[in-house]
Amino acid sequence: MSKKSMYLSISIITMILGIMLAIQFRTARFIEQSVPADRAQELVAELSKLEKDNIKLDGEIEDLGYKLQQAKKGQSQAQAAILDELKKARMMAGIITVSGTGIEVVLDNPSSPSRRTSISIIRDEDLLRVANDLKGAGAEAISINGYRLISTSEIRQAGSFINVNLNRIEPPFHILAIGNPEKLRSSLEISGGLVDYFRDLGIVVKTQTVNSVTVPGYGNNLQYRYAKAVKG
Amino acid sequence: MRIKPYHLALALVGLVLGVLLSVQFRVTKETLKTPQIYRVQAVGEKISDARSNRDKKQDQINNMRADLDKLAAGVELGVLREELIRSRIEAGLSGVTGPGIEVTLNDSNAVVKPGENPNLYVLHDEDILKVLNELRAAGAEALAINNQRILATSEIRCTGPTILINRNQRLTPPFIISAIGSQDNLSNSLKMRGGVIETLEFWGIQVSIKKVSQVNIPALSGNISFDYARPNTEEQ
Repeated sequence: MSKKSMYLSISIITMILGIMLAIQFRTARFIEQSVPADRAQELVAELSKLEKDNIKLDGEIEDLGYKLQQAKKGQSQAQAAILDELKKARMMAGIITVSGTGIEVVLDNPSSPSRRTSISIIRDEDLLRVANDLKGAGAEAISINGYRLISTSEIRQAGSFINVNLNRIEPPFHILAIGNPEKLRSSLEISGGLVDYFRDLGIVVKTQTVNSVTVPGYGNNLQYRYAKAVKG
Repeated sequence: MRIKPYHLALALVGLVLGVLLSVQFRVTKETLKTPQIYRVQAVGEKISDARSNRDKKQDQINNMRADLDKLAAGVELGVLREELIRSRIEAGLSGVTGPGIEVTLNDSNAVVKPGENPNLYVLHDEDILKVLNELRAAGAEALAINNQRILATSEIRCTGPTILINRNQRLTPPFIISAIGSQDNLSNSLKMRGGVIETLEFWGIQVSIKKVSQVNIPALSGNISFDYARPNTEEQ
């Protein structure tokens, strides 16, 4: 065997080795990056939400297409179309009063003063968490003591009171939410959930599903001193 | 040709290499075929398709809305036009821009001592809720986290290291909260003594506030729909 052919075979072997090494690294990295099983569940949930979104967007496109067609016909049709857009925007903004199935949650400090301790006083963060759980369960409209929560609504401790939309509210707190009643209720009553937590603190909690709740619209004027609308 | 000892060695090396190679290929192929990973990949591809589809539709809708506004420009609407603009901002149908602040939150870089609960040093949904609430109380006019618009119905939920908002939009740290409003009011409300920032910094969570002269907050991606709530008929 000549020296040449030996070198050739050795270089071929080293080449193969190199490729193997590269593949090996990539596989190892892939395994590390690959996601645990519960990620699959999250991803599937995300996909189903996207698919639902897309169906709704199709509906919106159809609706807007019809309105555009109408608006081209004349002034009065254009006006009707734009008024309908306004109605839709107001509904989404939470300015108008809405009704539907839902839940009523009442939170109160303990009635007998002897059982009232500093931890059983309801604080802003308690209400904030109730609202957040209800939103997570798909609540479409929420109000606390008659004040509608919109995107800029605060729930904030101010001394011994709590402010919502700059209005002072006091216990008992009546929280109304519209949505799937069972989902809303179970989001709070799930074991280890907020209702359990509140009872442990000594806060009085009542939840009740309701066939028809009416959630008032946002009462204040929407004012934008800093924000300007841009398209899209 | 005589068989020399190194020929034997080469043959042995070659044999081992061959076996390794075949094992390697099989492992690689099987990893790709593992049901878990296969499913994640397949779903992931579908998600990116659905997402680009949604963005396209969203663009189309925005353009159609602008067209409709143009068509109706000559129509006498008076105050209603102003109201339409305002309602669309509040509903998240239009993007907004204006002066404001950006708050960046990141998990703690403190070293967890043995026996301590590392959970204490991680950002929680509650922390973000509180920051948002504080900004709202300070008069924020529009809010977003990592460019996801926050609306009346937006929830913030912790799932492991990520946070879900607006029904399954997954966000990962660092979380950048953008708010439009009075810059001084917004940043002071957070920096207040005993306020949110002080509490978070106690746990070593990294917070930084930046005043930005032009904060851009996008419209909601996706759509709000009402399956349960109906407008009251007496007031429309």
